[in-house]
Amino acid sequence: MTWLLRRVGWAVFVVWAVVSLAFVVNNLVPGDPARMVAGVQARPADVARIREQLGLGAPPLVQYARFWRRLVHVGPRDVAKGDPVHSSCGVVIALGHEALHVDLGRSYQLGQPVVDVVATRLPRTFALALAGLLLQLLFGVATGALAASRRGSWIDRWVVGTSVLGVSAPTFLIALVLQIIFAQTLRWLPLDGFGKTFADHARCLVLPALTLGVYGAAYYTRLTRDELSVLLQQDWIRTARAKGLPPRGVLRHALRAALVPLVTSAGLDFGALMGGAVVTEQVFRWPGLGQLAVTAMLNRDGPLILASVVVSSVAIVASSVAVDALQLRLDPRTRARS
Amino acid sequence: MRGARARARFASNRTAVAGGVVIGLLVLFALLGPALAAHDATTSDFVHGVAPRTGLPAGPSATFPLGADRLFRDQLARLAAGARLSLAIALGATLLSTLLGAAVGITSGWLEGRQTRVAWPAVVGAIAGAVTALSGWPRAGLALAAAGVLLSLVTRLPGPRLDVDALLMRFVDVMLAFPFLLLVMALGAAVERSSAAAILLTLGFTGWLGTARLLRAKTMQVRAADYVVASRALGQPTARVLLEHVLPNVAGTLVVTASLQVAQMIVADSVLSYLGLGIAPPTPTWGRMLFEGQDYYASAPWLVAAPGAAIVVSVWGFNMLGEGLRDALDPHQA
Repeated sequence: MTWLLRRVGWAVFVVWAVVSLAFVVNNLVPGDPARMVAGVQARPADVARIREQLGLGAPPLVQYARFWRRLVHVGPRDVAKGDPVHSSCGVVIALGHEALHVDLGRSYQLGQPVVDVVATRLPRTFALALAGLLLQLLFGVATGALAASRRGSWIDRWVVGTSVLGVSAPTFLIALVLQIIFAQTLRWLPLDGFGKTFADHARCLVLPALTLGVYGAAYYTRLTRDELSVLLQQDWIRTARAKGLPPRGVLRHALRAALVPLVTSAGLDFGALMGGAVVTEQVFRWPGLGQLAVTAMLNRDGPLILASVVVSSVAIVASSVAVDALQLRLDPRTRARS
Repeated sequence: MRGARARARFASNRTAVAGGVVIGLLVLFALLGPALAAHDATTSDFVHGVAPRTGLPAGPSATFPLGADRLFRDQLARLAAGARLSLAIALGATLLSTLLGAAVGITSGWLEGRQTRVAWPAVVGAIAGAVTALSGWPRAGLALAAAGVLLSLVTRLPGPRLDVDALLMRFVDVMLAFPFLLLVMALGAAVERSSAAAILLTLGFTGWLGTARLLRAKTMQVRAADYVVASRALGQPTARVLLEHVLPNVAGTLVVTASLQVAQMIVADSVLSYLGLGIAPPTPTWGRMLFEGQDYYASAPWLVAAPGAAIVVSVWGFNMLGEGLRDALDPHQA
């Protein structure tokens, strides 16, 4: 229990440090957000007015303090329509007449509350991350187990060779090949985009998810194969074989033991993907958090950049805490050590 | 003796040898290609580069072995120039990140679990350097921190006792949670944007985290070995123990990670170019060529195929070399 508390405390510190660093970096990167909003030909007076409106007139330290004060605060349960103080808040938990607000400010470019923008994009990135990771595990564990159970055969050599090749292809290349095959030649699936109805979304999700799936599968193939090859030579597997357990049962025993490294990798990967699969989202114009982060950076849209940093660092840190906790559950040996 | 056995294992490993051959050919292409190509990589040829009827880029021919690109420039010359850049950036960045990762990893692993006296100049230099760098003078900050560390290495000054390993690893934790693209933009702004040197430094300064963690674990293993304990008990100075016992025994891991990392660096470089954050046009890079060619994949497929194949083959070569080296140098993991 103290272990978990220490771990969570450390996680909170990492998020604070990452977001603070991002704030500093964001202030250092050249480019004037007010000028970006106003346009190249705007008069200096207009640019100055917009800078004041965006709250950029205050010194950086004041902006920094304002950011954290607003991030999580207590406000009224129902925000009045024209309320200037809580206009960009998202209400999280209601406590009587009060409520817990989360406020990430207002996007310079979109003019919308950042909380709303993130809330609409988070499920999309979640769907892509989940679908991509599931495909990776599906392909990877299946081929890895196949190769390990026939170690040294031509299947094994072929799987290993292909997986090295698979690791070598960058996502944008895989995406391009998939687009040419499934969207242009066969015309089965849309080239890119997000669509309007739920069925559209599902159809649009296939190719980006497949891209992530193909990209990551090679890694999980190797991981599964290497782990299983070692495990299948252990004494307890030999005992199980000697007692007459069929090969499938043996493989199941070994897979249970290989679960720890697999879950560890998958958990950390999921955390990284939740920050947004930047390249994949960009290629397929999937409107998730990764694409948001890129546009925000190109536009010097401070609140959006910080929001994407908050989300991705929370995802990464939370997944690593979750992985540690899962390890304790899955592997009794680690419990003694902690 | 150990070297000879490792060489034999490496030579009998077909994957590794194939990887070595691929890399050799690639280096040859990067060195000789620009000289062999008949045209300049950034000059358009509106006479021979245009297909007569369609007005599209001309396909592969005797004058343009790999066809012309969308601005009617020689694809082969561009590919060769891109090979030079990609390889130079990937190798330079790997060298930088491996050195950084080894320094941090070995220091951290060696000092794990104890409080070390750190001289005041190093402490003050590190803090002042960080503050300076974050207030907008990254180079001055780096110089301050380096000066502080150097000063405390050559002199014996008093200072506080710190858990150096914990501090370094916490720093790695924070950096790992920091979004890569924002770091790229920050470092790109710190050094002049979109030059090859900027990309090299960016990739080098972001790529060392994994190496540091791995080397730390490896150093902790070696540190506990009997021969290290014995040489320390005999009173050998720390620097000598590190150089004569620790470094040779972690070198295998270091070589393997470095060669796998070259592959990652080639990918990272092409991703940055593809996203438009890399070296500015008209300088040819593989990622940029792919990005510009993808709109023409139906009418001029060689525009995608050539840079795509170049990326995959070179990454594949370094990956295979790394795998082969791992089998040869690190038999326990094979």
